[in-house]
Amino acid sequence: MDFFAPVINGFGVVLEPTNLLYCLIGVVIGMLIGVLPGLGPAATIAILLPLTYGVEPVTAIIMLAGIFYGAQYGGTITSVLLRLPGEASSVVTVFDGYALARQGKAGTALGIAALGSFFGGTVAIIGLTLLAPVVAGFALDFGPPEYTALAMLGILLVATVSNGSKLKSIIAASLGLLLATVGRDTFTGESRFTFDNLSLADGLDFVPIAMGIFGLGEILYNLEERHNKVQAPAKVANVWPSRKDLKESSGAIGRGSLLGFFLGILPGGGATIASLAAYAMEKKRSKTPERFGRGAVEGVAAPESANNAAATSSFIPLLTLGIPANATMAIIFGALLIQGVTPGPQLVQNDPELFWGVVNSMYIGNILLLIMSIPLVGVFVKILRVRAAILAPITVLITVIGVYTINNSIFDIWLVIVFGILGYLMKKFGFEPGPLVLAFVLGSLLEENLRRSLLLFGGDPAGFVGRPISSVLLLVFAAVMLLPLLQKAFKKARASAPATTARHDEKERV
Amino acid sequence: MNKPTFTRRSILATGSAFALALSLTACGGNVAGSSSTADGSKFPSGPVTLTIGADPGGSTDLIGRALAENASGPLGAPIPVVNKPGANGAIATKEVGAAKADGQTLVILNASLFAITPLAVSAGETVKIEDYEVITGISQDDYVLVTNASSGMKTMDDLTKAGKKFNFATTGVGTGSQLAQALLFKQANIDGTDVPFDGGSPAMTALLGNQVDLATIQLAEAMPQIKAGKLNPVVVFSKERNQYLPDTPTAVEAGYDVPVSQFRAVAAPKGTPEAVVTKLRDSFKKAFETEAYKSFNEQNLFTAAEIDGDQVAKDWAANAAKYKELTEKYDVDLGGGK
Repeated sequence: MDFFAPVINGFGVVLEPTNLLYCLIGVVIGMLIGVLPGLGPAATIAILLPLTYGVEPVTAIIMLAGIFYGAQYGGTITSVLLRLPGEASSVVTVFDGYALARQGKAGTALGIAALGSFFGGTVAIIGLTLLAPVVAGFALDFGPPEYTALAMLGILLVATVSNGSKLKSIIAASLGLLLATVGRDTFTGESRFTFDNLSLADGLDFVPIAMGIFGLGEILYNLEERHNKVQAPAKVANVWPSRKDLKESSGAIGRGSLLGFFLGILPGGGATIASLAAYAMEKKRSKTPERFGRGAVEGVAAPESANNAAATSSFIPLLTLGIPANATMAIIFGALLIQGVTPGPQLVQNDPELFWGVVNSMYIGNILLLIMSIPLVGVFVKILRVRAAILAPITVLITVIGVYTINNSIFDIWLVIVFGILGYLMKKFGFEPGPLVLAFVLGSLLEENLRRSLLLFGGDPAGFVGRPISSVLLLVFAAVMLLPLLQKAFKKARASAPATTARHDEKERV
Repeated sequence: MNKPTFTRRSILATGSAFALALSLTACGGNVAGSSSTADGSKFPSGPVTLTIGADPGGSTDLIGRALAENASGPLGAPIPVVNKPGANGAIATKEVGAAKADGQTLVILNASLFAITPLAVSAGETVKIEDYEVITGISQDDYVLVTNASSGMKTMDDLTKAGKKFNFATTGVGTGSQLAQALLFKQANIDGTDVPFDGGSPAMTALLGNQVDLATIQLAEAMPQIKAGKLNPVVVFSKERNQYLPDTPTAVEAGYDVPVSQFRAVAAPKGTPEAVVTKLRDSFKKAFETEAYKSFNEQNLFTAAEIDGDQVAKDWAANAAKYKELTEKYDVDLGGGK
């Protein structure tokens, strides 16, 4: 009973009218900026920090948290309708979401995404409630060697995510890894590929690359295709998914939520990796993987459940350990400090009202978002009825302004343009942009942690095997790599009994 | 050198995306160094932009914002804050250095950028304190060497007697954390491997998870874990004991010549008229005296170091020389040589 009393008190805090209002404001802003490409939750929260000076700490954080998870809902809308991921964590939603929209099933995609997000978010809050007090020891066992193994696994999964030719995916991923090496070497201070330009000293930023390749590249490509008239779906009908869609995606939502929850807890993990991993997992599990990329409902359900679960569970390391798991959490950390609250191991005991108030506000926020997602979808669909000649320049303008606001840097605008041209050319010549962008994200993570690990091991790579978590991850890595080869071998050997192979595959995955 | 066109264009930015969109088309005409308001009577002739070379939410950003809020009243003009992160703040600092010297564009300076970063990176990427008109020092942020409480190590003696090789986490290459530890361990004859992390929070996480044996991070970041009993403070690297950790000795007291702190100051481009600098100085002085600003310092565990601007320039130049001498004397290499 001692455990539940503060939880119940937390609900009392949320239900105060001011807090409810700020929760609503937060999720509406979050939804909006999720839709606007470029302007991410981190930038928005930073911009709105001054607004929080005048209110109670718990109220401020409830609003800022609402922006963060609200953005996960909103990011989906542009991914599905415009093939513009509003957030990095919605990148994989593009693959099947946009394909569904092209088939006139945008409503189904958005409905499933909203339900999946709601379910994922709710699972994560329940998990947060139960796990927060005990999670402390677990996250800290993830050191550099574990991140190395995780990044390797991630990059391998990237290669299996894309649809086009394997060779082209590998080329794109290699380019992504190469781009990740730009900037001041974090171990020696040596400049790499910076051409004496200070704007490159910290390396290339993820946002301009993603916005350029996905956003601008797509707009350019579409303008060229104008004569072929690829019409945007005129209407979003049937937002409530059909029974069949629900049946198809319920498993994916459940698995995505759990995976997202656990990946979100890990510092440095978060929504992007979670959505990617969930998508890859569903594709691998599916008996009909060829449907993925062509409009599979599971391909939307899994990553959307996962990114929302991860967004919510990334509050766990912040609120229990005082360790921000990603950039947005770092800013919320800053917001708490401004309020005179220091997140850390003592927060749950010292400030139970704040802790449980924020956690419980997420239940309310997710319900608000679910209610909003369905009717508001119609408003966003109207954007699609605008002609491309008008929509394209407006989108470019929003993208450019959005990118500028993140670092107040003109250089980033040039980057978007350069990567927009690259994205256009890649698309024209049949290269998938996904592997490039995702390999870019994981590349620096891999390099830094590999070098850090080797420093810790005194240069002996055997150290990776000596640690339980990293050795398990490396085993999974080997399994994922060898599985297609084994499958091929099995198929050859037992060409007469394909059913056995399929069952074997299932066992491996579970 | 970085492309001058970017720098000149960007000084037009006033923080709003709209103004910037305009500047894309209206750019060009602003040449650095022309002083038109020599008497300062017309100053401030509009909002005074305070540029911060760090991400929103970090300690440099918090300090800048608290200062802007409390100084805008006495100055009689709004002080919008613009974040231009990158290259340890070098991008923002260089940009303001090249801005019009009329006092309308200010920047928060980090001492490490002038005194420590040059020890690790190439000359083209560094900035010099002589190129700025320092208005006033702001505060001091101390580094503390910490161990995981489960290691049982609490003092320098524990470390030197352990007789083992340590992995020590730094907050990055070319930071005070790296310099302080490298110098300390060299002087104490402790064998160790320098493991750079991307900032204080990842370094502390690694120490809490026993991934590394030691770490040097900023006091405000370490404090919650020290209070919770998860980390042991060994030494602080300030010259005098830190008011928030009065029981922890300084490295100097422990017998090592390692005085390293992070100082911050606010500055204008070189050539800003004396009258304008004086006006700014007075406004910031008034901001320092407000209760709101004082309690901000206390909450964030910053030690006030509201030193006169000219003294700051001298101190920082002396620190740069001192660090250079120490690294040469003890053969410490922060950059390339690994």
